[in-house]
Formats: sequence, C-alpha cells, structure tokens
Amino acid sequence: MIQLFHVTKEYPGEPPALSDVTLQVGKGEFVFLTGPSGAGKSTLLRLTFCAEAPSSGQLLLFGRNVARISPREIPWVRRHIGVVFQDFKLLPERTIGENVALPLEVRSLPRREIRRKVQGLLRSVGLEHRADKFPPSLSGGEQQRVAVARALAADPALLLADEPTGNLDTERTLEVMELLAAANARGTTVIIATHDRSLLQRYTRRVVALERGRLVSDGDSIRQAGGL
Amino acid sequence: MMRRPVEAFRRAFTAMARSPYLTLTGTATIYVALLSMGLVAAALGAGERLLHAWAGEVKLSVYLAPGADLAQTGSAVAALAPGRSVESIPSAEGLRRLAQGLGEEGRLLDGVGPDAIPDCVEVAVPGIGLDQARALSSQLRSLPGVADVDYGTAWLERLDTILRRARAAGLALLVGLGLATAVLVSNTLRLAVYARREEIEIMKLVGATNAFVAAPFLLEGALQGVLSGGLAAGTLLALQAALLPRLTALLGPLAALPPGAGLALALPLGLVAGGAAIGLLASGLSILRFLRRA
Repeated sequence: MIQLFHVTKEYPGEPPALSDVTLQVGKGEFVFLTGPSGAGKSTLLRLTFCAEAPSSGQLLLFGRNVARISPREIPWVRRHIGVVFQDFKLLPERTIGENVALPLEVRSLPRREIRRKVQGLLRSVGLEHRADKFPPSLSGGEQQRVAVARALAADPALLLADEPTGNLDTERTLEVMELLAAANARGTTVIIATHDRSLLQRYTRRVVALERGRLVSDGDSIRQAGGL
Repeated sequence: MMRRPVEAFRRAFTAMARSPYLTLTGTATIYVALLSMGLVAAALGAGERLLHAWAGEVKLSVYLAPGADLAQTGSAVAALAPGRSVESIPSAEGLRRLAQGLGEEGRLLDGVGPDAIPDCVEVAVPGIGLDQARALSSQLRSLPGVADVDYGTAWLERLDTILRRARAAGLALLVGLGLATAVLVSNTLRLAVYARREEIEIMKLVGATNAFVAAPFLLEGALQGVLSGGLAAGTLLALQAALLPRLTALLGPLAALPPGAGLALALPLGLVAGGAAIGLLASGLSILRFLRRA
C-alpha cells in the first residue's frame, strides 16, 4: 500500500523534517505513527496524501511512485485516501452535514445517496441530531468526530489521522478509535499519528516511532509503549 | 470537466448567497467599469450618427469660370456623378436664391448685377462620406471650365477631424478601460477566491479536481458579469430616455436623426456579453492563479 525508500524531506534553512526513512505499510494494516512534536509524523502524513513531494528518496503509494504522479492525477489518488487533520479543517460556514458530504460531492454522487450516506455516518459518530448545526457551535470533541466522519465518507482504501484523539476525553477517544478500528476491519488501511501513550498501551498494533525525522523503531505497540 | 453543470450552478448560487458582500462588490465593480465603457462608446456612436445625419445634407457646388458653358459643364458633372441629382443654376438664378436666403437683408443685393456670382452646378450627395465628397470634388475641379468646387461644409470637415481624433482617443480610452476593468475585476474576484481559500484547500484535500473547484467560481464571475452588463445597459437606456428629448430640444440638428438613432442595439447586448466575458476571464485568472499555487 505504502512504501518509502530512503525518503528525506527538507525545508530551506531547517534541519530535515524526515531523514532517510525506509518503511512499508501493507494493505489492511493499522499503524500508529508516534514520536515527540517535530519528529516528522505530520510531514510523513503530508507526503502520503501528496500535499508535498519528498526532497529525495522514493515514495510508492498504491504501487505508484508519487514523484511520477502528475498534478492532474493527484485528486484521483486522494479519492482513495481519507484524512483526519489535527485542526479538523471543517468549513465553519457549512453545516455538519455539508462538511461530511464534501468528499461525496466531489465525486459527484447523486444528492439522495449523499444524504443517505451522511445520515449513516453522522449516526455512527453520534451526531445525527446535529447535522444542521455549524462547526463553531460544536465542542472540540464533536468537531473531531465530524472530521472522522468526513474522512470515512467515501470508504477510503487508506485513512490517515493526525492526532485524531488529541481533543477528546477518554470516552470519546474510545469511540473514535472504535470507528477507526471498524474501518480497518472493513479493509481500510489506517495510519494514526499520535503521541498519546495511552493509545499505544490500549491497542496492540504496529507502532512506527520517529525522532528528529528519523525512524527509530518499528514494532508492536506493547513493546513500543514500554520503550517510549 | 464537470459532469453535472446543474450542480455547479447550485454551488455557484449558494456561494454567492453565502458571501453577499463579495458578490455585491464584484458586481458593482464590473457595473461601474462597464457603464464607463458604455458611456464612452455611446458618446462616440452618437457623434458618428450625428455626423452621418448632417453629412446627408451635403451638396457640392461647382462654380464655373467666366465664359464657361453651363449646359456642357452640367452634362460633364452629371457624367462624373451618376445617379446623383444635378442642377445647373445660372448666375441670375443663383443671385435670386441668395437674396431669398438672406430674407429681409436680401435687399442689400438690389442693384447687384447677375455677373456678381458665377454660374453654378449643384450636385446633391445625400449620405456621402466626407472622403468620398473630397474625392468627387477633386474630380469635378479638374473638369474644363470649372473654377472652384465647394462642398460647402468646412465646418463638417472640422467636425470630422475632431470626431476622428475623438474616435482614436475613445478607442484608446476603451482599451485602457478594458484593461483596467480586467485588472480591477480580477483583483476583486481574487478577494472572493482568497476569502474561500480554506474551502478550496479542503476540497482539494478530499479529492476535488481543479475543474470541480473552478467551475462555480467561473460561473459566479460570468453571472456577476451578465448582471452588471444588464444593469449598465439598463442605466444607459434610462439615461437615453431621460436625456435624448432634452438634447433634441437643445440641438436642432439632432431632431433630424432618424427614428431609433439613439443607442444601437449592439451596445446593450455588447455590454451584457462583454460583462459575461470580463467576469469569466477575471474569475478564471483569479482561480487558476490560486489553483496553480494550491
């Protein structure tokens, strides 16, 4: 699904955000990407949804070299990827329902089908009664769940989540993780960037640890959580 | 391209309704620019039509040299101006008409002999252009026995010169206004694009193609342009309805304008079509520039 070979990402005047990272994530895997702030987690996710290109090395996504994907093709690649952003990236002047519908509108699905899917998604995140509200009127946790619902809207093959539980209490964290786990059970490959140790301790999953842009370990969560 | 144009229209209307201030600003900008262009074009058009109306009254007067044969010269003139009304006027008749034209003051000519003015051949040339009038008078002047040719409208020639200059200046002004409009409207619409940069960014992140993102912006630009063009055309027609009767009363010659000689239909239609084109072009430039960076 995702293969990185000696990937480096540099920004002018700064130390490398990613340095010589080699990593593979197979289809249907559930991976925690962890490390302190500035470790390169978000950068790796940005490279994975083609927001940026590596400075050097190769990144293969769905078997295709990202460097060879033309700008015209990027939208079609992104349609296979759902992303939960750390800052949610919800449109404040659109209702919750409209925000969740966005990936479906982009695919030009019929409005009736969009409505049906959105209702189901909002029900799954416990927000069906708030479909007509606007994001600013929701709590941080509720906004996070809307972001998760939007990322799952188009049944993506790959789901990337940047600190998806960062604003949630324990109960809501478990709910969101259940949603992501359910998507994974349906076949979606899930990569979660987090520095929440409790998540790693609670879920026995593969954990990839980064530090200062370098991959420092890759193993199961029990071992990693203990070592962090 | 968009598979569902109706959906693109829906998104365009929704976006316009969500940002009424930006929509209003864009529409007002295009309206002011189009109205300015329309006023310049209307003034130029009116000037041209006025000149043509006045030029319709042009008569060429061919004055004969002393001793020249009037009938012979009249035939030669008629041969050079086929299809035109040619009238040979002996000097005595010319003097009588002059006295009649002077009215009360015609008595001043009492005692003046018929030889005081030369025999003359008049050629009526309604609708002739000044260039044609010049060319014809030059040909007539070369006829044997012709002393001078006057197309009697030196003032018309001066007006033509002024109008030529005004036309050139007007065209330059129109081009300048067009460019300024495109830049101004593009900047205004860029504000609309900038205000929705977050929406564009998110749409692209969830897999929207550039065409999907751009379609409603282009439609918005075109719709604003059509609306502005319609308003500008309406304003011009209203101004014409309000001002033309007063101008007609003020300027005698305007009364001689043929019916419907006000705004040509092409101008309001051109403003609407031009508005749509400017809106489309400006929004296209704004959104494409943004998408290239996004």
